[in-house]
Amino acid sequence: MSGDSPRQWLERIRGLPLPEHVRIMNVCGGHERSITMAGLRSALPENIELIPGPGCPVCICPEEDVFEAIQLALNEDIILVAFGDMLRVPVNAPRKDARSLEQARAMGADVRPIASPLEAARIARQNPGKPVVFFAAGFETTTAPVAALLVEGVPDNLFVLLSGRLTWPAVAMLLDSDTPGFDALVAPGHVSTVMGPEEWEFVVHKHSIPAAVAGFTAESLLAAMYSTLRQLLEDHRFLDNCYPELVQPGGNRRARQQLHQAMDVTDANWRGVGIIPDSGFALNTAYTRHDARREFPSYADDARKRAGEMPPGCDCAKVVLGKIYPNECRLFGIACRPRHPVGPCMVSDEGACRIWWSGGMREPVTKPKRMMA
Amino acid sequence: MCLGIPMQIRSIDGYTANCEAKGVRRDVSLFMMQDAGLQVDDYVVVHVGYAIQKITPQEARTAWELYDQMLEGGTGA
Repeated sequence: MSGDSPRQWLERIRGLPLPEHVRIMNVCGGHERSITMAGLRSALPENIELIPGPGCPVCICPEEDVFEAIQLALNEDIILVAFGDMLRVPVNAPRKDARSLEQARAMGADVRPIASPLEAARIARQNPGKPVVFFAAGFETTTAPVAALLVEGVPDNLFVLLSGRLTWPAVAMLLDSDTPGFDALVAPGHVSTVMGPEEWEFVVHKHSIPAAVAGFTAESLLAAMYSTLRQLLEDHRFLDNCYPELVQPGGNRRARQQLHQAMDVTDANWRGVGIIPDSGFALNTAYTRHDARREFPSYADDARKRAGEMPPGCDCAKVVLGKIYPNECRLFGIACRPRHPVGPCMVSDEGACRIWWSGGMREPVTKPKRMMA
Repeated sequence: MCLGIPMQIRSIDGYTANCEAKGVRRDVSLFMMQDAGLQVDDYVVVHVGYAIQKITPQEARTAWELYDQMLEGGTGA
């Protein structure tokens, strides 16, 4: 059935004897963008609710890590580089202080956006007399290249402020809770490409929740949704792979080996969510000489108001966990817009709020969450 | 940041490949793909400057059609 058109997949889904209400969660900003841009919510039967879940690494990057990056950029004689999305992420600071890396740059700090870890190494080589701190936030697809960079070898003056996260532990946390909030899962395509689809088998085996890995076309996403619906209806669970052109058993073994070589898996904080066991990456002992957390002082201040939390009034934490839709937040489209974002979900291209706004889903909520939009 | 871009390899020098997509050329690291035996003219999916997997020309075309649609979708304001 591969190669079938979105229309054919939609007809196939419409032909199923669907239950009254099925909630399918995705955990990838790229998936949510495709779903929104292709208008899949309105094309699917009303019984099916598509929920954007924890799929935005920028959104859950700990506020204290962003704060630390800002303080390093302002107070140390360094060049700070970070993926472009991170520059506009706001922290909870008084109005007179820098609330983002972008504002720190406006105050004179040397902050540079990069699109690849390779650029961090290049900037370090071009500035041998100056420490370069690479603030590296991201999920597995981004953290694996950071590991590859370290394993290949980097200049002595490059230091990594690592804020890498694994995707599956957040889903495990939801499923272990009393209210997971979904009945089926579309598993992420490029995370599975790197880490292997096997990471998601716990969803079907431990929790008996249908799951299918999807790519980024409407066809692949609809095929994955169809698979999970069939699994529900036939009461037969298995992890389906609807992105076989990229996702292979075991994933990218060399990339996983490099991750293992450079980093340990550790408990980690998710902004607005809290500590999730085994959900973060930390540089291992072989790479401590490149660890910015060891090289530079910590600017953490426990007395800072609302440290670690989302900004006041912002519901990004609930959006990230799929508890509410973006337009159920009181600030969405009113106080919080892409040009003046309050929360990280409106900053990042992978944030559900930003995606919904870009996709024209701009009205405040008029109906309860179920079967809205 | 999870968006992978399909690109075609134009030349290879060690672990660095000069790759092209839609007339734009970029240096891409093959360090995560060093076991794949990649050659000039192969297609790879590139994520933050690193090739993460090999794909067929047809799959590359399909992915580019998707990205064209996304780009037409606008960036919001």
